[in-house]
Amino acid sequence: MSSKKLKVAREDSTLRILLRQFLKNPAGVAGLAIVTLMILGAIFAQQVTGYDQAAFDVTASFHSPNWHHLMGTDQLGSDIFARVLYGGRASIYIGVLSSLLGNLIGTFLGATAGYIGGKFDAILMRISELVMTFPQLILVLICVSLLGQGVNNVILIFAMTGWMTTFRLVRGEFFSLREEAFVEADRAFGFSKSRIIFRHMLPNTLSPIVVAFTVNTAIYIIAEAGLSFLGLGVPITTPTWGNLLAAAQSPVVVNQYWWLWVFPAIAIMAFVFGVNFIGDALRDVLDPRQRTASIKRTLLSKIIPGRSSKKGNS
Amino acid sequence: MGLAISALIFFASRLSPIDPINSLIPPDSAIDPANLAKLRQQLGLNDNIFIQYFHWLKEMLVGNFGYSIQNGQKISDILAQRMPATLELVLSALILSTLFSLTLGLFAGANRGGFADKLSRVLAVIGISVPDFFIGIALLNVFAYRLGWLPTGQRISPGETTLWQRMPHLVLPVATLTFAMLAVLIRYTRNSVLDTLNKDFIKTARSKGVPEWKVLWSHVFRNSLGPVMVILAFRLPLLFGGSVLVESVFQWPGIGSTIVSAVTASDFPVIMVISMIVATAILVSSFMVDIIKSILDPRVRLGGSVTS
Repeated sequence: MSSKKLKVAREDSTLRILLRQFLKNPAGVAGLAIVTLMILGAIFAQQVTGYDQAAFDVTASFHSPNWHHLMGTDQLGSDIFARVLYGGRASIYIGVLSSLLGNLIGTFLGATAGYIGGKFDAILMRISELVMTFPQLILVLICVSLLGQGVNNVILIFAMTGWMTTFRLVRGEFFSLREEAFVEADRAFGFSKSRIIFRHMLPNTLSPIVVAFTVNTAIYIIAEAGLSFLGLGVPITTPTWGNLLAAAQSPVVVNQYWWLWVFPAIAIMAFVFGVNFIGDALRDVLDPRQRTASIKRTLLSKIIPGRSSKKGNS
Repeated sequence: MGLAISALIFFASRLSPIDPINSLIPPDSAIDPANLAKLRQQLGLNDNIFIQYFHWLKEMLVGNFGYSIQNGQKISDILAQRMPATLELVLSALILSTLFSLTLGLFAGANRGGFADKLSRVLAVIGISVPDFFIGIALLNVFAYRLGWLPTGQRISPGETTLWQRMPHLVLPVATLTFAMLAVLIRYTRNSVLDTLNKDFIKTARSKGVPEWKVLWSHVFRNSLGPVMVILAFRLPLLFGGSVLVESVFQWPGIGSTIVSAVTASDFPVIMVISMIVATAILVSSFMVDIIKSILDPRVRLGGSVTS
């Protein structure tokens, strides 16, 4: 009987096992649901709220939340709910794209530095140390003063100031991978360095990179909010969560019109929570040291019922 | 190292497409181009870039930081005026957050799964998910406006007032900043304590019959402090610019608000001086980290490069 069950398990691809592992994690699923819902809301903002991006109605300024305006209106009478959803477009776009770009830079540098080592590695390490100790917001502000504002500039600046964590991660992985037998075999075959690094070694470091991608996305969304709050991120004409929060720069708004800044902040927190939950779940599923354990657990759970409830400690 | 940073900052600011003259005179104003050229000449904007750099560096080294483009104020005056505000804010937050997170981290690590551990986890999640300036705004709304217990920040300059009168103004900004600094340090302390607890000498101490509180205090805590001290030394540069957002929320006239207004106006002289100060602080702090490491761990020798 047990051999029959084992056969079923073998037919599953690794991806499906991983997916099943992910779906077993309630926080991860909840995070995925929140993030998906918010992205859909941002895409279909017009259909969901019934208000256009630039719609305003001066006669309806500063209405508190009511049935017409679920989250109230701002001083121009624009619907806050609509603005929060539209703001999600730019904020999520910036978060995801900067994280992607920063990860690309970090992965590329980390992979080459980790494989080549030596002086190249030492210099890059020194630079990453320097960038990491610089208070991040100050560094970003200096870059803003040099490059100017705008969505694309913000993405570029975030990527340039945030590649270090991925760099260190990938570099560390490559340091240990470098000594593996398959890499030595590659070298013996006379493969080119780039082929060894990017075709053979890099796929082995993919899971920590994926996790770093989610964590960085969350960090950048908060960073965008902070930068736009100061009025130095995305120009005020484009709604982002940070630009909406910037309304709270005025004491009157902080005092009387709480709905102007509470709802955008809730949007940020919900999205960041969601992304972090996904990241945690992915870490549990993808971490190579835990993966072997968890696959073994899935296999065991098919043989011995009752083993499945045993959970690993994070 | 410091020289490299200064050169980088200087040349980058000169290569920037933003013309500093535009913040002085609106580009659409009807000004005679000849006068504009004369102004450029006077400000030294036409000189060779290397000459400009060495001129600037020489002046920096003798303590002449130049003048703000925005209002012609001496930058050293601006710093003297703004620095105390930021120092008093960040220093109090640094001390408070350190004390709090060391205590909580120790208890969380010593009693895994207990109340302190749960609290520290909640704080860690909030710390990475909630923008710190939002906490500031919320505190402002609740304690300053709704309840009216505390003033809305806005520092009173010392001199004509007593410390007692100025204290309430500090409470909300410091609370916000403390909270923002907590999460990382708590997690770090907790992990460090857990690491130490797994060491053999703890087993030895316990099997000798040393009381548990004494094990925690004189064996675990002391040995866990090392990595935490390193983190603290790395936080030193925050003294000169870790409070930009908080200063903005509470209209605190410190270095943070200075750099924000400088960036808004492309006031490069001010930006360059502040970034030079931060860079210097980084160099000092990384030097301190090396010293701390060598004191805590006799295996680390000063002089050789330490790769971690």
